[in-house]
Amino acid sequence: MTRYILGRLGGVVVILLAVCLFTYLIFFKLSPDPAVMICGKTCTPERIDSIRDVLGLNQPLLTQFWEFLSGIFAGRDYGSVHCSAPCLGYSFQTNESVWSMLTARLPVSITVAVGAAVLWLLAGVIGGLVSAVKQGTWWDRTGMGLALGGVSVPNYVLALVLQYVLVVKLQVLPFPSAVSFVDNPLVWFESYLMPWVVLAVGYACLYARLTRSNVIDTLAENYYRTARAKGLSGALIMRRHALRPALTPITTIFGMDFAGLLGGALITETVFGLNGIGKLAADSIAKNDQPVIMAVTLLAAFFVVVGNVVVDLLYTALDPRVRVVSA
Amino acid sequence: MSAALFVVDNLTVTLPTSSGPVDVVKNVSFTVDRDETVGIVGESGSGKSMTALAVLGLLPRGARTSGSVKLDGAELLGRSDRELRSVRGNAISMVFQDPLSSLNPYYTVGLQISEMYRTHRGGSRSAARKVAIEALERVHIPDAARRVDHYPHQFSGGMRQRVMIAMALCCSPSLLIADEPTTALDVTVQAQILELLAELQATTGAGLMFITHDLAVISSIARRVLVMRSGDPVEYGTAEQVFSDPRHEYTRMLLDAVPRIDDEVAS
Repeated sequence: MTRYILGRLGGVVVILLAVCLFTYLIFFKLSPDPAVMICGKTCTPERIDSIRDVLGLNQPLLTQFWEFLSGIFAGRDYGSVHCSAPCLGYSFQTNESVWSMLTARLPVSITVAVGAAVLWLLAGVIGGLVSAVKQGTWWDRTGMGLALGGVSVPNYVLALVLQYVLVVKLQVLPFPSAVSFVDNPLVWFESYLMPWVVLAVGYACLYARLTRSNVIDTLAENYYRTARAKGLSGALIMRRHALRPALTPITTIFGMDFAGLLGGALITETVFGLNGIGKLAADSIAKNDQPVIMAVTLLAAFFVVVGNVVVDLLYTALDPRVRVVSA
Repeated sequence: MSAALFVVDNLTVTLPTSSGPVDVVKNVSFTVDRDETVGIVGESGSGKSMTALAVLGLLPRGARTSGSVKLDGAELLGRSDRELRSVRGNAISMVFQDPLSSLNPYYTVGLQISEMYRTHRGGSRSAARKVAIEALERVHIPDAARRVDHYPHQFSGGMRQRVMIAMALCCSPSLLIADEPTTALDVTVQAQILELLAELQATTGAGLMFITHDLAVISSIARRVLVMRSGDPVEYGTAEQVFSDPRHEYTRMLLDAVPRIDDEVAS
């Protein structure tokens, strides 16, 4: 088992390195010269040269990449300025440290992701379960009809409609504002409620459909019939012999979806003006702020790759058949 | 003479299909006594398994039943799911055909045995675990105290069916229904399982309703035999009578279909 985990972690490092290299090549080599961008409109060739020198852009590509990588773990110097580890460089737009930009915005994205995940898991799993148990009834058809509709509505449409109806027309919710939980829990909750719902709807509908089909499959399993023939109580049969087998595969999908969201909900954060990683990504792409683009891409990749490993390890804990093979 | 342990009288099972209701079991009657094995034989689709599922109220949704099924004189047909729960696994328990898919892959065999014991008898986890170990020992699973914590996929086919039998017997039922319990197993293991069933029946005195399509198996263990074809009971009598002097054409056909070692092979 230890060997398996070590092997997987080794894989994580390799994948992250590859992502680093590709992102680096795409954003630093294929986009406009950063030195020209930083220099601005009134600019002399000498000034461009000195900026290139400070950023290390005159060095060979591999050396630049190495500088970038070692900066993350050991820090690096830009001319006379020292950027301490973990150093992801400075924003071309604001000169802020990219690392501190990330750490300032990550809590917002985590809050958005966790709240939405709780909502969609509850709604999706309960909805799917009810549909499966009441298969073919009015409940099931209505629920699955709604789920199909919910999957089909794009995030930004839902976000704008909700905002228009709840904030502008009915005025039951305030426009989302950056209030910390400690300062005012109620306003904090109200601010995050719409983003949570908007993000959760699509996932919830998807999970409801998944849960429904998984539970229906499980109800047709021979071991479910055995459980009934054993005279177990309905609740015990449902929990042990229907839900546990039906939900195990959903864990995998959930892990990946959640990890993906930690890297920022680009559209939702932008529409609601939440200063999370997603909005940072959108802003930095709009302004071609390469160090920031690089950092948010790496962060998203980090979450997805690590999430993948966590899910695999979790699966070996959840499914005994996998556990024995990997041990 | 006292009444039989288990009496099925005029049992009819009707399933809804897209082309209207179909009787999959028609007016079936038979009895099983304590310490007796009754075989139900027929090809697939003959209604054998539906008869068994009807007894425990495990028929598919929308199925209707009529007639009477009595255990120790108490009517089972028409009881609610809740009422039947105390019968299932307790007074009547069932062993299914494919032990791998009939056991839940997510739980140890110990838990699957003890959850049933605790449902019907209560008691602590550790007491139920002891019962599970004893049950595994009773079906001759070596090293039962260790094996109790293993998962179904860690057992061989024959051992898995032993686990199923151990589970079925852990609440000392008065009737055991075995639905093709040896079909998924190879011949030598089949013989061991049949031997085990006979041995356990001798010690527990339970009635055994043995469902199979295999005439060879039934002739070796059953005292009485019911032959079924597309839901109809075509012949019912002692094993000796049915096998040596079949009255019905279908029974004769079934018997002729069994390959015999002294058969002439057409060249």
